[in-house]
Amino acid sequence: MELNAGTGGNGSHKTASERDEVAALESLQFTDEIRRLMSAPGGDNASSFTALLELPAPQAVQLIQSPDSAKLIAAPAPAPAPAPAPNVDDFRGSFQFPFNCGLIDRAARFSVFAGDGNINGNNKSNSPEPTSYNSSASLQKPVKSEPAETESSQPLVSDPTVENRSVKRKDREKVKGSSKKSKTSAKESSDDAEKLPYVHVRARRGQATDSHSLAERARREKINARMKLLQDLVPGCSKISGTALVLDEIINHVQSLQRQVEFLSMRLAAVNPRIDFNLDSVFTAESGSLMDSNFSGMVIPMMWPEVQLNGNRQQYPQQLHLDAFQQPVSGREEVCNSYITPENSLLSYDSSGNSASLHSNQLKMEL
Amino acid sequence: MRPHSSLKQEFLKEWIKGLQRCSFPKKSILERKKAIKLSADIAMASARNGTTCWSRALISSAAKDGSDNNHLVKQILGPESDRPAVENKAPARQASVCKKILKRSCRIRRRGRRKCGAAAAPSSIAKHLVKKRRQILRSLIPGGEFMNEICLIEETLDYITSLRVQVDVMRSLATASVRGTE
Repeated sequence: MELNAGTGGNGSHKTASERDEVAALESLQFTDEIRRLMSAPGGDNASSFTALLELPAPQAVQLIQSPDSAKLIAAPAPAPAPAPAPNVDDFRGSFQFPFNCGLIDRAARFSVFAGDGNINGNNKSNSPEPTSYNSSASLQKPVKSEPAETESSQPLVSDPTVENRSVKRKDREKVKGSSKKSKTSAKESSDDAEKLPYVHVRARRGQATDSHSLAERARREKINARMKLLQDLVPGCSKISGTALVLDEIINHVQSLQRQVEFLSMRLAAVNPRIDFNLDSVFTAESGSLMDSNFSGMVIPMMWPEVQLNGNRQQYPQQLHLDAFQQPVSGREEVCNSYITPENSLLSYDSSGNSASLHSNQLKMEL
Repeated sequence: MRPHSSLKQEFLKEWIKGLQRCSFPKKSILERKKAIKLSADIAMASARNGTTCWSRALISSAAKDGSDNNHLVKQILGPESDRPAVENKAPARQASVCKKILKRSCRIRRRGRRKCGAAAAPSSIAKHLVKKRRQILRSLIPGGEFMNEICLIEETLDYITSLRVQVDVMRSLATASVRGTE
């Protein structure tokens, strides 16, 4: 995938500005990936969101095996990117996108083109970079033998996928500059973390290390990650900070979408009482239009199949119960103005055929 | 514009199939609207093929025995009724169990809150707000009462995407059919 090639190619550049640009680009690409993934509910996985965030065990372990995350896990001093530590030069190339590689791995994996080749390709592209880490070698054991290791000091954290994900979050936070907190405590737990595939949640400085709080923190981070995805999905939510307000926006969005569905179904019921004969022509037009997502293109193919229906259209106005129709419309007036005007114009259209042009104008405005 | 045209197409196909299957009463517009909405919802839910919780909950609530639109649902689902029906039994059992657990926990929490008294800490107030909103979200999403928080957010993501697809398709259908009649 082009993402992996991009990271491999950019890995050699060491300037801060380029790194920032590329990091921003990578994050953009990642959000695009997420959007693409979310919009295409791939047949390979149950749900693309959960697939993205909850990896099946072997693939998660493979992620751990990738040299990038291996170096990060084992790094006693994973200085932030601009820090000029002597042994950081090796990492700078790979370190710029530690979280990007991990997340791009996952994104690549769950996209249509992804396969194991991508992951291996990513690993290979990054493996020639610093090999001064012995721990990375230790992590390259086969997958099956690793679950046998039980050196974990956190026995309660049993779900490997949760831990791997939390490691990814930890990595990301480190890149974002909160690494100073984790640096000192990372030293202590790094030895344990090195050899284990299920790298567990690492205790940050000043935080409790018992298993309960770790599990709690892992859970919280999971929730926060998903909330971020939601924020990206719902328009206008990314600027808001604070869970309650974000949830407010999400609730409003869901409610408005549900109301729109109600409105549209009402409108369809009004417009199209005899859907059966209409369906074929509409369907063919619809499939073409949906491919292009172009409304104007619909009008032309729609025109000639609908001509013969005009004779029937004159009859159905009498079938419509205008009173029943007016009540729900007025009841929902406060909700969505754009749908009220077509409804009203529909009523006028039914009573007199003169307002057909008015109706079309209003529809165009609405679109 | 998001490139989920494949989902749109699938939804449209299922919806039109459902519409064709259910006989339009042609009596009142409200009934027609109900049928349209129902077939749209079921098409949307079946497009997920039972992979998400909300889709199963939607189908099971629509197909509940004793509800008035049961016959419509049966008609719409038609030959495929076996697949979602089988999946619905397990969630129903889980649902009842989850409900009991939830009720129990709510009772305990209420007792605990009375003991603590008023919590003046801002963090607890914030938590309270968030909890309230989570409850509202649970009531919005079909089958939301039986999910824990993580599942809830995932289901919300999925549900919002599907709703968007539904709205887009319905809107384009409506405008197309209306435009064609002018």
